[in-house]
Amino acid sequence: MKPGLNVSRRAFLGGAGVLLALPALDSLIGRGALAEDTVARRILTFYVPNGIHMAKWTPDLTGAAYKLSPILSPLAKVQKKLLVLTNLDNQPARPDGPGDHAGGTSGFLTCRHVVKTEGAGIKNGISMDQVAAGKLKASTRIASLQLGMDGGSSIGDCDSGYSCAYARNISWASETQPLPKTVSPQVVFDLLFDGFDPEATAADKARRLKYRTSILDYTLEDAKRLHPKLGVSDQHKLDEYMTGVFELEERLHKTNAGAACSTIPRPPEGLAYPEKVKLMLDLMVLAFQCDATRVISFMMGNAGSGRSYDFLGITGGHHEISHHQGMQDNFDKLEKIDMWEVEQYAYLLEKMDAVIDVNGKTLLDNSAVYFSSELEDGNAHRHTNLPVLLAGSCGGSWATGQHIAYPDGPPLANLFMTMLNAVGAPVSSFGDEGTGMLKLA
Amino acid sequence: MAHARWITGSTLTLVLAAAGCVGNLSDAPGASSGTPPGVVGPDPGRVTMHRLNRAEYNSTVRDLLGTKLRPADDFPADDYGYGFDNVSDVLSISPLQLELYERAAETLAEEAMLQPTASLTTKVEAETLKGTVGNATDDGWLLFSNGDVPLTANLPSGGKYTISTRVWAAQAGPDLAKIEISAGGVSLGTFDVKGTTDSPQVVTVDAQLGAGSKVVMVSFLNDYFDKVTMADRNLYVDWIEVKGPVGTTEANPLRARIMVCDPATGGDTCVRTIVQTFAERAWRRPLATSEVDDLLAFVALAKADKDTLDAGITLSLRAILTSPHFIFRVEKDLVPTSLMVHPLNPYELASRLSYFVWSSMPDAELLQAAKDGKLSDDTELEAQVVRMLADPRADALIDNFAGEWLYTRALADHLPDYNAFPGFDPALGNAMREESRRFFSEFLHGERGIGDMLSSDFTFVNDRLADHYGIDGAAPGADFIRVDLNTDQRGGLLTQAAWLTVTSYPARTSPVKRGKWILSQLLCSEPPAPPPGVEGLNPEPVQTGSLRQRMEAHRADPKCAGCHSTMDPLGFSLENYDGIGAFRTMDGKFPVDAAGELPDGTKFVGAQEMAKLIQADPRYGSCVTDKLFTYALGRAPEKTDKLFIEHIEGEFGAHGSKLKELIRLIVLSEPFRMRRGETEPKGGQ
Repeated sequence: MKPGLNVSRRAFLGGAGVLLALPALDSLIGRGALAEDTVARRILTFYVPNGIHMAKWTPDLTGAAYKLSPILSPLAKVQKKLLVLTNLDNQPARPDGPGDHAGGTSGFLTCRHVVKTEGAGIKNGISMDQVAAGKLKASTRIASLQLGMDGGSSIGDCDSGYSCAYARNISWASETQPLPKTVSPQVVFDLLFDGFDPEATAADKARRLKYRTSILDYTLEDAKRLHPKLGVSDQHKLDEYMTGVFELEERLHKTNAGAACSTIPRPPEGLAYPEKVKLMLDLMVLAFQCDATRVISFMMGNAGSGRSYDFLGITGGHHEISHHQGMQDNFDKLEKIDMWEVEQYAYLLEKMDAVIDVNGKTLLDNSAVYFSSELEDGNAHRHTNLPVLLAGSCGGSWATGQHIAYPDGPPLANLFMTMLNAVGAPVSSFGDEGTGMLKLA
Repeated sequence: MAHARWITGSTLTLVLAAAGCVGNLSDAPGASSGTPPGVVGPDPGRVTMHRLNRAEYNSTVRDLLGTKLRPADDFPADDYGYGFDNVSDVLSISPLQLELYERAAETLAEEAMLQPTASLTTKVEAETLKGTVGNATDDGWLLFSNGDVPLTANLPSGGKYTISTRVWAAQAGPDLAKIEISAGGVSLGTFDVKGTTDSPQVVTVDAQLGAGSKVVMVSFLNDYFDKVTMADRNLYVDWIEVKGPVGTTEANPLRARIMVCDPATGGDTCVRTIVQTFAERAWRRPLATSEVDDLLAFVALAKADKDTLDAGITLSLRAILTSPHFIFRVEKDLVPTSLMVHPLNPYELASRLSYFVWSSMPDAELLQAAKDGKLSDDTELEAQVVRMLADPRADALIDNFAGEWLYTRALADHLPDYNAFPGFDPALGNAMREESRRFFSEFLHGERGIGDMLSSDFTFVNDRLADHYGIDGAAPGADFIRVDLNTDQRGGLLTQAAWLTVTSYPARTSPVKRGKWILSQLLCSEPPAPPPGVEGLNPEPVQTGSLRQRMEAHRADPKCAGCHSTMDPLGFSLENYDGIGAFRTMDGKFPVDAAGELPDGTKFVGAQEMAKLIQADPRYGSCVTDKLFTYALGRAPEKTDKLFIEHIEGEFGAHGSKLKELIRLIVLSEPFRMRRGETEPKGGQ
């Protein structure tokens, strides 16, 4: 609690004494690839743990005339670009017995019912963001980014016999491969700007590229020689390695080509939690702005997070409070926490809405920014009537500025099918029960 | 989940079953069922190719290169399986992870090959910076209340830096102005500022810093203002200077390790020796001639590109560190699909041994023993275990095995609620962890059996922890001392603050979590998880009873009673220890009742009596065996391991239940020394 250790992010970003020389925009960013692909569509998914206090979340009215609820009130400035979607269900996320946090988190973007295991035999499904990345990665250097705030503190099984892989990852490249997230702003910065050296000459850069490529070629050959000598389980591990090498090699030969890309100095370490969250959000906007990637998933905490929100003046851990048992005191705390979470989402949306994209619309207009939690209510552990927000129209794919309450609890997977269609990656089914696109009207 | 497979008849297991709390108790932890058809001989099981986890990566590059960098701290967190993060089945590689490996290889190779560079000085006038409070003046930054002046410095390389700042204060009040200097969020010290406008003072501090962007910060800590006298204490910062790295003008010791000969005189032969020597250490085995040839192609590549020989060697080091042979511990079967049981090759065994005991690569002596074919000999293998346990690298067992077994690793991420426990800070958390480390070390290296762990009459404290425990005799100052405990309040693992803290909620204790910890970590009898919607107990705005009274009411629900009637009494007996492990006799305004009664009528009061109950339970020894076996092999015990583990467990008990004995027994066991191929993937479809 030492005040001296809370580095101010504002001071860092706004400081006049920054020593790192910033390059002029054009020297950093290659131009091109814009003509064929004038409207970049993007998907961002924003996860918050432990459900939401729905009584203060769901707006009273539906349609365009709806009023923001107390928890949603931070979204006033972007309300016209927002959809509040009520009564979407993610039934497959219900675990076998207990384990709702892990079940809801692993199924957050996959809409799959996962195999209950602590280790061997992990099985989920490909996540919506990764289906999108399969299509969108052709245009960008980085296929997708997985970001989060909390690393891997959970010791032991993460939730009632479910592996931590289910509780910490929302992006899944395949049934068996979770994509772990990075929680370090410094690493995100390096990924975005690729070890950028402002003093490097073109010849230096060309040589570095040649060297890195030759190393990756070598390791790929090395892995190929090793592959037939291994057992099947080992080969699966080596396959992951080889996929990584292959993708990195592809990435090396692409440059960021965003319309309005500007950089910031490499972020400092040691930020207090709320500052670090904002910095991560800044970096996400930067990633889109520079068109370094078009797909981002973000976990603002892991499944069933026990984070203490004492910086909001709240006593107790989030998970514990989310088991509110109908107590007003807990409702009040949840309302504050949930509202703070929505404030972060609003901060992100406002920043995205302030950046003009190549087609004269804003980054937000050209994106679909999904917000939800692994559960509805933290006490009841329901996977129905999820708290769902969708901001941006993904290039005019749907009308925003409404609250839609579905009468029949359609599967969440159908919303994902609509989103995938909007980014040009349509699928005929998704997850365990996605059968058709959800109408956003 | 639970590991309670074949062991029956122990008190608590029976009690759990009798109370209707059985869950998955009869399931084997692994997904496979029985010996696969076709396995010849007793099945030693199969360890999936093991990726180095974060701890292993960091200690491997430390031992390989001599670096202080810890690149894996930035890697994504490793997933846990069966309570440990070294279980190869769940250690995967994502594209992000691969990219970070490639970057780390570049950074590490360049650091290792670095020629000495001159030191740089960065000096910035504070008025050009932006403080968090106050304003710029003509010649500095004025902090008129507590706040920071941050400077973002880009450090060319890791090393020792000298940070200076010129400050003065408008003095007021009883104390001198106080500042703190920090870098990268880590405090480097606090200092009194005696200087005034007329006589500013330069405060200087040394720091070991890594390369990259770091926020160096001067913070004003003790603002003072008296409304009556208008006495106002303020701090002025004139400039901040960062100088370094200091002392790299001497030879780079990392480079000396790699350059085992001088290419200027030794020519191509020497270059080959350099690359081959490094690769054999990094890959923990001899290389085929063709493998060395492939690596030397990088030297040729640099030459063709008119780059230096140094650049060529650096490239080959990068390739070695990015290769699957470095990142994975590769073990091979002659025929991958054959179920024929066979011994590991000596180098594979050496790696299993070193990653078990050290979480790191084999050293030269172990590799030599492998080369000489000595590791197939029991006596030699035992001698290596003894030698390796005596090495400081064996601390890895404390940090990684015990840290995960006893949950003390979770302290790093556990944040007690400030309002509930204002006395907790990182220094106290570190002291808790250090107590636990030293305590476990005593049992790892000493002659005591694990039974004593629960009832020891000594522990290790510094002044901070002694104060927290309310015990006398600890010397003031930073270092830990061993103290004898003459109190009922402390003694044994169960009364140690580290695990008591991490099994608490941020603002209160959790008897349930503590009871569950005892059952799962000490007795391997984890009860099934609660049905949806019934877990948790709400904090109350106005306390209506002790936590215990409220939980007992909560437990009246028959759905909960089955398991909680066993779990809760275990936790209740520790209610004398609050959410950060401090001793208490009152829970708020209600007296603590530390009595417990199990469903079978067994009664006990407090930690010491419960400790005796656990000591007497045969499941304790078998549980420790299971945990260490899992950690040693990086896989869950399977049904096929039953006879092997029973044998280990029996010998362990017969030899005084000493941990070093258990380590020896596991290393000598067939699952540790043998392997086989497989016909289908683990946990197959």
